[in-house]
Amino acid sequence: MRNSKSERAGYLFILPWILGLLLFTIGPMLFSMLLAFSKWDIITGVKSIEWVGLDNFRTMFHDDLFYQSLKVTFIFALVSVPLYQIASLLIALLLNMRNRGMKFFRLIYFMPSVIPAVAASMMWIMIFNPEYGVLNRALSLFGIQGPAWLQDPSYALGALIVMGLWGIGNTIIIYLSGLQGVPEELYEAANLDGAGPLQRFRNITLPMISPTVFFNLVMGIIGGFQYFTQAFVMTNGGPLNSTLFYNLYLYNKAFKDFDMGYASALSWVLFIIILVFTLLVIRSSSMWVYYQGDNEKD
Amino acid sequence: MNYSSTRSRIVSRIFSMVLLIAGAVIVLVPLLWTLATSLKTPAEVFTDSFFPAAWMWSNYANAVTAIPFFTFLKNTLIILIPVMIGTVFSAALCAYGFARFNFRGKRMLFLVLLATMMLPSQVTMIPMFIMFKEIGWVDTFLPLIVPAFFGGGAFNIFLIRQFMRGIPRDLDESAFVDGANQFQIFTRIMLPLSMPPLIAVSIFTFMGVWNDFQGPLIYLNSSDKYTLALGLSMFKGLYNVEWNMLMAATMLIMIPPLLVFFVAQKYFIEGISISSAIKG
Repeated sequence: MRNSKSERAGYLFILPWILGLLLFTIGPMLFSMLLAFSKWDIITGVKSIEWVGLDNFRTMFHDDLFYQSLKVTFIFALVSVPLYQIASLLIALLLNMRNRGMKFFRLIYFMPSVIPAVAASMMWIMIFNPEYGVLNRALSLFGIQGPAWLQDPSYALGALIVMGLWGIGNTIIIYLSGLQGVPEELYEAANLDGAGPLQRFRNITLPMISPTVFFNLVMGIIGGFQYFTQAFVMTNGGPLNSTLFYNLYLYNKAFKDFDMGYASALSWVLFIIILVFTLLVIRSSSMWVYYQGDNEKD
Repeated sequence: MNYSSTRSRIVSRIFSMVLLIAGAVIVLVPLLWTLATSLKTPAEVFTDSFFPAAWMWSNYANAVTAIPFFTFLKNTLIILIPVMIGTVFSAALCAYGFARFNFRGKRMLFLVLLATMMLPSQVTMIPMFIMFKEIGWVDTFLPLIVPAFFGGGAFNIFLIRQFMRGIPRDLDESAFVDGANQFQIFTRIMLPLSMPPLIAVSIFTFMGVWNDFQGPLIYLNSSDKYTLALGLSMFKGLYNVEWNMLMAATMLIMIPPLLVFFVAQKYFIEGISISSAIKG
């Protein structure tokens, strides 16, 4: 059906999205680009936007908190992304066994992913309580004196990483669905050839689920660099800026200091960082991602 | 199979089960402990006991009055209901447009649609705030509601479109021959047949609004307009709110998503599995 009437109908159906794209994506992106090269505190109104060229980006070079927030975010991403992926895959492998009661276990592991981040944060504030929190009490059973977690600059970031481990159910389910797509015949053939479990994992499972690994890795990177709510609720960047995530710093600049120009510049730097890492993964994917029946496009 | 390999298989099976059970305990303990804390007396919160000595169900009654729980709930629903309607309907409209019509620039527009999923919200957050401030919408629910009616989100359009492409064309073409117009085909044929992805999108939207924190944080200033997620966190530091009550309120805000999850787990898990079908 391609005539002028049906063409018009097609545009009409996607019109809401096109309007949304212009109003809430492209328009704001252009404005944000302008702001990134401007100085503006929002209180004085749109007319007082002052073009300052690269000043905002120059300021970043001397901004200790910018470096601190970059450091926190990079440490978090570099540790949490691989950690969560490996843990999710291991749990998904366990959940993929054919056993009675697996449905029940899948429900339990997925459950934390539907709990609001704010509620989970409130829970974990109590769990991390140095004296009465359940975590340190559990550690003391093994004779370990737990740290002060959220109140200790050298442990606060680690605490948030540990807490994130609790909520990886989403990633687990995606791995599980990837694992269930691996054809059983491949394992049977490998068994006949006398392959051990590790060989089967390396030579069959990993290549077959590589598209899933790829998807989870990209989502993990994007999510990791945009971490916000938990840090805002639980530590608000403290103690001593040890959990000052990039996104939290950006929020503070925009909505506490109302330094909209600088905050916009920060948002573009974040965008570029995410883009670079995502592209790196996408570019490298041709070397390690294997698509079954790759000729079926779209 | 010889004897030793059967035995090693049993051993590894037992080992795996032990790991699974241990993991499940680790997942459940924080929840149980929060539940236990929500039932303790204020003094008992800071003692060594895991379980409450007496089960103080009254904490729940007190929690909803110690913080303006029902105001927060009402605000959340005022946002939630229109957002769900807007998201599902407009995402379905756009998905239908992409699934069934040919128009100039369609491939390019579809690529743009997919690309917008990669854009971090931080880039558009500040200009959107300024825009809504200029038109006087800050500290109202409108900035949180209105955008849902403009396409309903790229991911949702994509999800529904993939499904609609699988619906046989004979169905809509024969309706067309019978004199139905495109909009009637959409509402009477495509929508009823697309229930699975529409339900999945509704559930994800419900969760998204219920859990949203940064949106209400930016747009809502007066505490009588706070949503549950925002309100709960803002009452954390107040001296008159005790930890046991705060944990009771925390349990209450968890219940709706957990209920939805248990009722609709099939759509949940399938919806998430579909998302893994996106290839790079």
